[in-house]
Amino acid sequence: MSHDTQEVSANDAHARGPLLLLLGSGLVWLVISGVLALIASVQLHTPTFLASCAWFTYGHMQALQETAFVYGWLANAGLALGLWVLTRLGGEALRAGNWVTVGALFWNLGVTLALVGIVAGDATGHSLLQLPRYVQPLLLIAYGAIAVAGVLAWSGRRNEASYASQWYVFAALFLFPWLFSVAHVALFVVPMRGVMQAVTAGWFAQGVFTLWLAPLALAAAYYVVPKVTGRVLPGYQFASLSFWVLIVVGAWTGGRHLIGGPAPAWISSLAIVSCSLLVFHYFVVWLNLKGSIGQGGAVMKFTSFGLLAYVIGGCADAFTSIRSFAVITQFTYFTQAQQQLALYGGISMLFFGALYFAVPRLTGKTWASAALIGGHATTAILGVLLLVISLGVAGWTQGQALLKPAVTFPEIAAATRPWLLLATAAYAVLLVGNLMLVVNFLQTLAAKPTVPAATLFQATSDIKETA
Amino acid sequence: MSTSSNQDPRLTQSAASDTSLLAAHEKAAGKQADEKGNYKLMPLALLFGFSGLIFWAGSYMGRFSGQFSGNIFDENAQPSTGAEVVAKIDPIVLGKKQYAAACIACHLADGKGLTGVNPPLAGSEWVTGSEERLVRIVVHGLKGPIKVMGVEYSAAAMPVFGKVAGSGYNWSDEKIAAVLTYIRQEWGNTAGPISTELVAAIRAKEGDRKEWSAEELLKIQ
Repeated sequence: MSHDTQEVSANDAHARGPLLLLLGSGLVWLVISGVLALIASVQLHTPTFLASCAWFTYGHMQALQETAFVYGWLANAGLALGLWVLTRLGGEALRAGNWVTVGALFWNLGVTLALVGIVAGDATGHSLLQLPRYVQPLLLIAYGAIAVAGVLAWSGRRNEASYASQWYVFAALFLFPWLFSVAHVALFVVPMRGVMQAVTAGWFAQGVFTLWLAPLALAAAYYVVPKVTGRVLPGYQFASLSFWVLIVVGAWTGGRHLIGGPAPAWISSLAIVSCSLLVFHYFVVWLNLKGSIGQGGAVMKFTSFGLLAYVIGGCADAFTSIRSFAVITQFTYFTQAQQQLALYGGISMLFFGALYFAVPRLTGKTWASAALIGGHATTAILGVLLLVISLGVAGWTQGQALLKPAVTFPEIAAATRPWLLLATAAYAVLLVGNLMLVVNFLQTLAAKPTVPAATLFQATSDIKETA
Repeated sequence: MSTSSNQDPRLTQSAASDTSLLAAHEKAAGKQADEKGNYKLMPLALLFGFSGLIFWAGSYMGRFSGQFSGNIFDENAQPSTGAEVVAKIDPIVLGKKQYAAACIACHLADGKGLTGVNPPLAGSEWVTGSEERLVRIVVHGLKGPIKVMGVEYSAAAMPVFGKVAGSGYNWSDEKIAAVLTYIRQEWGNTAGPISTELVAAIRAKEGDRKEWSAEELLKIQ
């Protein structure tokens, strides 16, 4: 088994161009969305900020930051890491790399057009699908061009054996076009009527997380954790069941966005039980990846934090979807806290962990600065904790107050204001951290290799059975 | 764990090769014969836990499904028998409302009318007496002289209330039954209620016709 002891091979060098293009553009969007999120969060407690300019009012800024974050940062980074994991495990060079490059260029062109469109007032108004409708076909085609490489990496893999990371990437590659095209047709081409529109939008928004971003992040984590710890995952015999629970049940959790809203009761009920069933998935993920906790190094620090956020966020979804909780948390800042916990604390942090692992292998160089890595880790963890806690408390306060008819809206705004100020601070901290990552990334790309990659990486040994 | 190899914070080393990672997990996922019969607690507990979740999910869906209807928005809605669609209306409440809408103008709030002009309802033998006559008066109206409680009313003019030709009110049978039930138990009257069916039957039997006279009515029992 130990014939393959070289940690990096020509395959990594071959994938370097397209994948670094995806990662780099993702990081640019990360910083842009950070700036936009900061502005939007200031507007929440200081409504006069930029209010004189119609282009930069809160509705626009919120849609802009969300779009830049999900379709700019998460999509680019997730696809890059997913393709990388597929080529690494497949043992063959990345094929159709040119398709990835062209696809990445058009994808980012599409995201740019989308932001311009949103500024011009063409946002759709559907959460996580604010992209103007005319940009969506372009994005779908660009996505297809990128995904081709993933399908080829899977079908042309050298090793017949398959691993959890591969299932997750492969599923994510196919599930996003399904979600995206169905939502496009059902919301814009042949718009559903009335309540069904909200149901479809909720299904899509939840699907983007559960069926696309979460699988990509899990693929990265499932790969990185045993690689770094050198141990077989302890609950791996349940990994496939956990995978199928996520894929099959995950799609039904969309109705949780409608609990307490004007939707048929069974749609909400089904979402509530689906959220509960997913607890099994989260538990198995925790069981398998908990080895990352307490390990040294930036990769494991980010991954273990992401794992905790992912699992805690999943359990929080299950609890707050119960109707007696939802009556307080639904339609408040609390749902924003949950979304940030999932997208930032969970997905992003898992991506960061894998990114810190992948970039040295793709470039054949170590990261340029250890201080910037440490700074990024500290600010990211601090920022996410601050953000989720402040939005969570603000939401809980708001939700309790909204249930009391005697409390007026200005009173509620005054009560939540300190927490919203704290959330703004959190966004600023996160932005600083992400700037550190971008600087480090650019410095790493620019640096000259000091030693050949072959000597940089130690020869790998066989994985050890769990004790 | 290769802690010594992870000295450089700028580079996280791998402790396992990709091929061994694949092979070892393929083995771990496979069903290996448990020769000693030593079942591990964790797999069993996980499966029990998962089954428990499925059971809970099924129970919850059964209780809060709203019959999977697109029209039921309240998860606590009970199964429909079709009966609750027609809400029961209290005839006294409806009758009082109808009385206040029209009758009160002549018969007044105390039901005593105006002696010599508008006959009284309180204590009137026409109200508490024959149901057949009373229903006819309201459905088709009444014209001409009538004697009520010993007082002669020479030119009574009760308007047409029923759903018949020439009616100015077009009240439903239910409304007429309700207002009659109301006046038969108000102001000290103690006669029984009038049913919607009786009003409907009389209206169907008599059809469209001109107002009744007191003489015609007295022939009906």
